[in-house]
Amino acid sequence: MDGRIIVITSGKGGVGKTTATASIGAALALQRKRVAVIDMDIGLRNLDVVMGLENRIIFNVVDAVKGKCKLKQAAIKDRRIDDLFLIPASQSDNKNVLSPKDMVQFGEKLRREFDFVLMDCPAGIERGFENSVAAADEAVVVCTPEVSSVRDADRVIGLLYARSITPKLVVNRIIPEMVEKGDMLSHVDMVDVLSIELVGLVPMDDHVLISTNTGIPLVLQKKSKAGEAFQRIAMRINGATDLPIEVPQSQDRFWKKIGSKLGLGK
Amino acid sequence: MFNGLFRKVRGNKTGSGEIAKQRLKFALIYDKLEISDDTLRNLHRDMVEVISRYFEIDQAAFRLDIHRSDDFSSLVVNTPILSAKRGSPD
Ligand SMILES: Nc1ncnc2c1ncn2[C@@H]1O[C@H](COP(=O)(O)OP(=O)(O)OP(=O)(O)O)[C@@H](O)[C@H]1O
Ligand SMILES: [Mg+2]
Repeated sequence: MDGRIIVITSGKGGVGKTTATASIGAALALQRKRVAVIDMDIGLRNLDVVMGLENRIIFNVVDAVKGKCKLKQAAIKDRRIDDLFLIPASQSDNKNVLSPKDMVQFGEKLRREFDFVLMDCPAGIERGFENSVAAADEAVVVCTPEVSSVRDADRVIGLLYARSITPKLVVNRIIPEMVEKGDMLSHVDMVDVLSIELVGLVPMDDHVLISTNTGIPLVLQKKSKAGEAFQRIAMRINGATDLPIEVPQSQDRFWKKIGSKLGLGK
Repeated sequence: MFNGLFRKVRGNKTGSGEIAKQRLKFALIYDKLEISDDTLRNLHRDMVEVISRYFEIDQAAFRLDIHRSDDFSSLVVNTPILSAKRGSPD
């Protein structure tokens, strides 16, 4: 196999990298791809709880990179989705135990075993970022419609370009009502400011919290708008590049549109 | 008010918040069981030292491992004893 390694990054913390990694990973696996998601937040692991696999951990990414276990031993098979594997972070080390050089070598092994490898990058642009990006072929930058998040995204995009990676943008936590009122940056503004290709728009959605509570993947939750958005992002990453970008809409707007289609209202 | 009433009737145990709490209890215990290589190396060194005060042991054959299963973790120490040391260790 000749897998693709994609780093999910943002600069700013708490914008949805881990949510995106778990959801896009699950969606790609549902599309019959062999997928590994890797928690690179050494010392502060989270991807395992988000995926509901926290009590299956025996080996972790540090063990696998350092050759203390086989890659297969560190890759935990998902409970619900075939072909989805988690390689958890270690909780007791710090980020300096791994080096970018280690990661480049590890990347070679990963490419042979999986179609897609998603690296869940920690916040910041220090060692954890360096390690997550070292082996990556591609990058997805997650950004929320907030000034601070966009600014950090811009910085990270610059760092990725410097490594000859052309990143794509996911805008997360969109509140359509606020965008429509003009109180939130729109994705058009963000693409304009960052001048980068868009790969998907994800609305704010209560199902995200419910999914983290239960450990059941967001993309398996019925009627989750965010889950659907991540599925479409996965399809685009998986080659459906002409799949149109769906813009999250408020209920208000939705009913008005239906109304006007039926010739009601103005 | 109706919301509160509804919640009382339905009971709140089935919500995902309750599941989250249960999962967290285990996750936090689990996290605290993880031990870094450095710590394990130090423990190894200290144990060899302490045991050597009382026994003549084959230091190269001394083994220290953490075994994990679904319900518990254990520290497994294995060392061949060559002989016991007589008298007070100090
Ligand atoms: N689309 C969304 N709708 C609602 N809540 C969301 C959405 N995306 C993420 N969240 C919530 O935002 C918080 C941060 O998400 P997440 O942990 O994925 O971010 P992160 O970028 O990985 O954070 P960190 O930088 O700490 O690793 C979580 O509580 C998550 O449930
Ligand atoms: Mg995270």
